[in-house]
Amino acid sequence: MVGPLEQALLAAMIFVIMLGMGASLTPRDFWFALRRPYGLAIGVVSQYGFMPFIGFVMAVTLDLPEAIALGLLIVSCMPGGTTSNIFTYFSKGNLALSVLMTVTSTVFGVFLIPLVLLVYASALDLEIPRDNIIATLVILLVPVVIGMVLRKISANVGAVTEFFGSVLAIVFIAFIAISWVPRNWQFLMTTEPSTYFAAIMLGVFGILIGYGFAKLLRLHPRNARTVALETGIQNAPLAVAIIVLTFPGEEQQSIIAVGALYSMFIVMTSTAFTLAFRRANTAAEQKMPDSLL
Amino acid sequence: MTENDRPWVAFYGPDIRAEIETAAYRTLGDLIRSVADTYGSAPAFTACMPNGMNGTLSFAQVDELSDAFAVYLREVAGLQKGDRVAVQMPNGLSFPVAAFGILKAGCVLVNVNPLYTAEEMARQFQDAEPHALVIVDMFADKIAEATRGHPIPNIIVTRVAEFLPSLPRGIIGLVQKHWDRSVKPIEVPHIRFSQAIRAGRAHRDRDRIEVALYDKDVAPDDIACLQYTGGTTGVAKGAMLTHANLILNMEQTLEMIPALERGKEVGLTALPLYHIFAFTVNLLGLYRLGARNILIPSPRPLTNLKRAFENYKITWMSGVNTLFNGLSREIWFLDSPPKHLKLASAGGMALQVAVATRWQEITGKPLLQGYGLTETSPVLSFNPVGKTRDGSIGVPVPSTRMACVDDNGIPVAQGERGEIAAKGPQVMKGYWQRPDATEEVLKGGWFLTGDIGVMDADGYFYIVDRKKDMVVVSGFNVYPNEVEDCLSQHPGILESAVIGVPNESTGEAVKAFVVPKDPGLSVEDIRSHCKAHLTAYKVPRLVEFRDTLPKSNVGKILRKDLRAQESQDQASE
Repeated sequence: MVGPLEQALLAAMIFVIMLGMGASLTPRDFWFALRRPYGLAIGVVSQYGFMPFIGFVMAVTLDLPEAIALGLLIVSCMPGGTTSNIFTYFSKGNLALSVLMTVTSTVFGVFLIPLVLLVYASALDLEIPRDNIIATLVILLVPVVIGMVLRKISANVGAVTEFFGSVLAIVFIAFIAISWVPRNWQFLMTTEPSTYFAAIMLGVFGILIGYGFAKLLRLHPRNARTVALETGIQNAPLAVAIIVLTFPGEEQQSIIAVGALYSMFIVMTSTAFTLAFRRANTAAEQKMPDSLL
Repeated sequence: MTENDRPWVAFYGPDIRAEIETAAYRTLGDLIRSVADTYGSAPAFTACMPNGMNGTLSFAQVDELSDAFAVYLREVAGLQKGDRVAVQMPNGLSFPVAAFGILKAGCVLVNVNPLYTAEEMARQFQDAEPHALVIVDMFADKIAEATRGHPIPNIIVTRVAEFLPSLPRGIIGLVQKHWDRSVKPIEVPHIRFSQAIRAGRAHRDRDRIEVALYDKDVAPDDIACLQYTGGTTGVAKGAMLTHANLILNMEQTLEMIPALERGKEVGLTALPLYHIFAFTVNLLGLYRLGARNILIPSPRPLTNLKRAFENYKITWMSGVNTLFNGLSREIWFLDSPPKHLKLASAGGMALQVAVATRWQEITGKPLLQGYGLTETSPVLSFNPVGKTRDGSIGVPVPSTRMACVDDNGIPVAQGERGEIAAKGPQVMKGYWQRPDATEEVLKGGWFLTGDIGVMDADGYFYIVDRKKDMVVVSGFNVYPNEVEDCLSQHPGILESAVIGVPNESTGEAVKAFVVPKDPGLSVEDIRSHCKAHLTAYKVPRLVEFRDTLPKSNVGKILRKDLRAQESQDQASE
């Protein structure tokens, strides 16, 4: 998997990226997302209502081995991941809503994750690593706040930070997508097709159902895109941490498989959806005449 | 033609003077220097890019930089008083520096639409014969073709991000060069704007040049701008606008908006400054007020304005119907409409009542419509604050007379339709090198606008249509706008255009071109809808369904193209 040095490097990259994302925001953006908590509530419902259900249905219908099924369920019960914010930014979604949704689902996760897993995997005694949850929140919120402050101090410093943050985000996504395959070649060769299917489709179904749900409730396309990405993109590293803490040796390797596969494929899935969302956004943009006069 | 009564003066209120006899400044150069002395280090212009990157010049900096550019034009490029200098660039910090420098040098500013094709540029250059061209690098690839056979001796190239701090400027430059590829190599000999300013500065310091002497012998009625108009309807003509025209029109317009306070305002300029409305009202007016002017290089897509609204406390903005209508549909604008806005001013094209109403609902502040033409510098009328009338272009601005006249130039009875004629210190000197065209529109000191209008009992004016679009059916005047308005109320119609076509029995007949929204729409549906709302002679005799209608690059439906197609069809039959 990923070594501690790489993990620290990735965390540092995420920090800088989120600094840039934060510099694109103002307190007012958060205020508006909070003033209409409708989108936020929809997010929590699709995060802890739909995703675990999708995981459960796939676990049952695909006839997955028990350990794989358990891994799938754990990933599907995770809160939204930080990368959802990056993809929301690029798909011209509502970044403030995305950040709030990630924070909400992460905080709620402390009791919702055990509860949902209890429902679907019946009384599993899981250990939820609080440190990990706090670290997720810190690495998300601290740079966002600093970014907003930078923008407040100087619009130019903010815009430059945002520019470098978004460039780094593209490098980061490309790096994850490209470097993952050779590093996990052996693992990829020994994994069952049904496991692949489950790991890939969890994200795809999550995004599609999140989008459909949001559209059904007549959210603005900008917010629907946000809910979709937030629903489909899970905090997979948290799942991996939970599994490592909870399960011993041999068993651990099988349970972790879905989480690991998911981490890689979700980057590609989200990239594809982001490109589609961007195209839809451009198409829906108001056409202004070439010159205004 | 006689001078009408001025019933509208009663609606000016205590803050608006009825007459502004003399300009407070002799030349625009005087104005620029004097205002800079007053406001010094306060921010005058801020260019705000779509991503929020920005640069600011203070009043003192714009004054100094434009001085240096004036010296460059006179001493290095060797230009003389009255020589034309073309400026072709989107809104940015280079615009005020270049425009002010040209005026201070005693030269004539020729604004050129940056979106012009090389062919359109060539026509304008051949007519204006500029001695220098200040152009942004994004459009510089058109120079070679546009100046073939008529070379412009001095080409000065600037960039969108000129005068921004170096890091944002560098990033924008790299993105333009390698990402959008919007900046192409320039094939003609040229000098960079920044080099020109350095050269001018060096000359000034070495020879101790007193820049104010350049326009000392410029008279108030000397030409300041050649402003081209009529490009979409025929051969473009250059309206000769004098220093007094522009200074007084700026004063007349500011007089109509007494809510704007000196040294306290932040204005948003989303309209291109090459256009006379933005030039007089935004560039000159905001500067004169000591306001901070936020310049938007391109308002397309409208999200490009988001950062400007977020980062600056906009108190006033100007725009056209399309802009206000568009903003009223942007979710980010609806979420947080500008809190500090006092009012907004609309010009350039007719402001729809629905758009004005919606704007007022969203922002809680009025959207005031004005009216004018390039030939009148441009403002002739404006709605006074708090006394607006729906659909009206307002009342004449101070020192301005307006009247509706018949074909003989005789004022029609109040409430009757007639061509709007106007008289005031803002009326142009004439068309550049076109005495024939000038004679057609300037008669006995009155300027004939070509717009058919009507005045109510209080002196508020309403536009009915363009005179040349009028259809005469059996001696009755039909105004296409009226018929199109009626058609637009039919739910099955997306858009429509109405013209007159020759008819044996009625002289002309009304013909409607309709783009249906509902595929089941029939000619009978349309005619019966019109019959219910219009007098019989106004009902379209002919209806043709179309998938699209010809439009200008500004989105105006081109009736003249439909007329041309129609006469071609008739000829071929």
